[in-house]
Amino acid sequence: MRESEVKVNGQIRMREMKDNELLLDLLRDRLEVKSVKAACWRGECGLCTVLLNGELVKSCLVLAVEASGGEVVTVEGIGEDGSGGGGLTAIQRAFMEHGASQCGFCTPAFVLTTHELLRRNPSPTESELTEAVSGLICRCGTYNQIREAVAAVKAHDKRSVSKKLVESTR
Amino acid sequence: MSFGSPYFTLPEFTYHHPNNLEEAMRLLKTHGEEAKVMGGGVGLLAFMKERLMSPAHVIDIKGIRELKELKYTSGIGLSIGACVTLAEVAQSDAVKHHYTALHEAVSGAADPMIRGRATLVGNLCEAIPWVDSPPALIALGGAVRVNGPRGGREVDLGNFIRGPVDIDLQPDELVTHLVLSESPPSRRSTFQKFSVGSEFSVASVAASVVLGRRREVRLVYGGVSSTPLRSLEAEKVVAEGEVSEAMIQKAAHVASRSVQCVSDVLASADYRRHLVQVLTTKALKRVFER
Repeated sequence: MRESEVKVNGQIRMREMKDNELLLDLLRDRLEVKSVKAACWRGECGLCTVLLNGELVKSCLVLAVEASGGEVVTVEGIGEDGSGGGGLTAIQRAFMEHGASQCGFCTPAFVLTTHELLRRNPSPTESELTEAVSGLICRCGTYNQIREAVAAVKAHDKRSVSKKLVESTR
Repeated sequence: MSFGSPYFTLPEFTYHHPNNLEEAMRLLKTHGEEAKVMGGGVGLLAFMKERLMSPAHVIDIKGIRELKELKYTSGIGLSIGACVTLAEVAQSDAVKHHYTALHEAVSGAADPMIRGRATLVGNLCEAIPWVDSPPALIALGGAVRVNGPRGGREVDLGNFIRGPVDIDLQPDELVTHLVLSESPPSRRSTFQKFSVGSEFSVASVAASVVLGRRREVRLVYGGVSSTPLRSLEAEKVVAEGEVSEAMIQKAAHVASRSVQCVSDVLASADYRRHLVQVLTTKALKRVFER
């Protein structure tokens, strides 16, 4: 056991960590961040994906101690106020509008991953999107709706950029 | 939450996080037999969950700065530290330009999250038959640099990987780098595979051809057997034949007959032989088209 602190969605959480504890179990069972889903435990379905120090990782493949002193962001932490309390992000609204979740189990992972994709690359191509989510499985098969949701955010973003451009040239 | 099954948990161990190479070597000397080195942890944690490995000590080398470097020196070659991830290798322009087969193998491996964690040296030390980078590195003539209490040594990859999950490494030794010598300017290389989505490769081929009066050829097959396999027979066809569609077809045919493929849950040996033929054709066309 070692006393460690980890920042989760902006809050510092102190916990005693066992050396053989997975980050997934720390987040889900002891810090009660339930958007992080436990399903395959072997890095295949990607539904335990979180941001660890700014990088997307599958938390079933990471030890909790590896996150000590670090920062974890889950889907609860990407809302507009950044602390999970409030506003939805553009991609979350698009998921709702396009019915991009059915049972909802994979939704946090897909939202987090596509949110991060769009943050890094506001206009991903089809193949860039496919590649970005290739480590995630939606067992209901809502891939087309997810594609549409991302396309909608992309188009909206383009419109607002061109609108801003037009405004700035006036 | 483990559903009462060991499959979802890790066996007990003590976690070590050395900050420099000396400390890591000291830990290996003390705990060697009972320790496992962890780079990205992708393979190790999977093995541990399945209780195929239950080390009493896990030595995480991610904190060792000198092992995080990917360095290309013109005239010398490439060295990739043990903590360099597949994603970092994929992003390297030097790798893309001088070691195309390696670039293609790592940029298409698994998925972006796995590539961000898994290390290239980890791929090699794991010595799992379906992993993409070992065939590419063997085709390019790679070697690993090993550090140990009896000094350092360099081992050719063909000898380093002895069998599935079996490598030429003592418990008190550590692989610090993967090294590749400078690519001849006339080298053309490629990596081609057949896989479903981000799953492991059912079959793959890495081809490296150094053009010139004497053509140097390597054809290395992954995913088809318990270790990467070269087809010396097909290499000979490519090295000695005049470049033509017929030569490529002949080499592919010879490869599919000479590579000893296995049957398993992913595919039958017959199907793999078919894939070897298709992939060899594809790879050689790419190599000679450029």
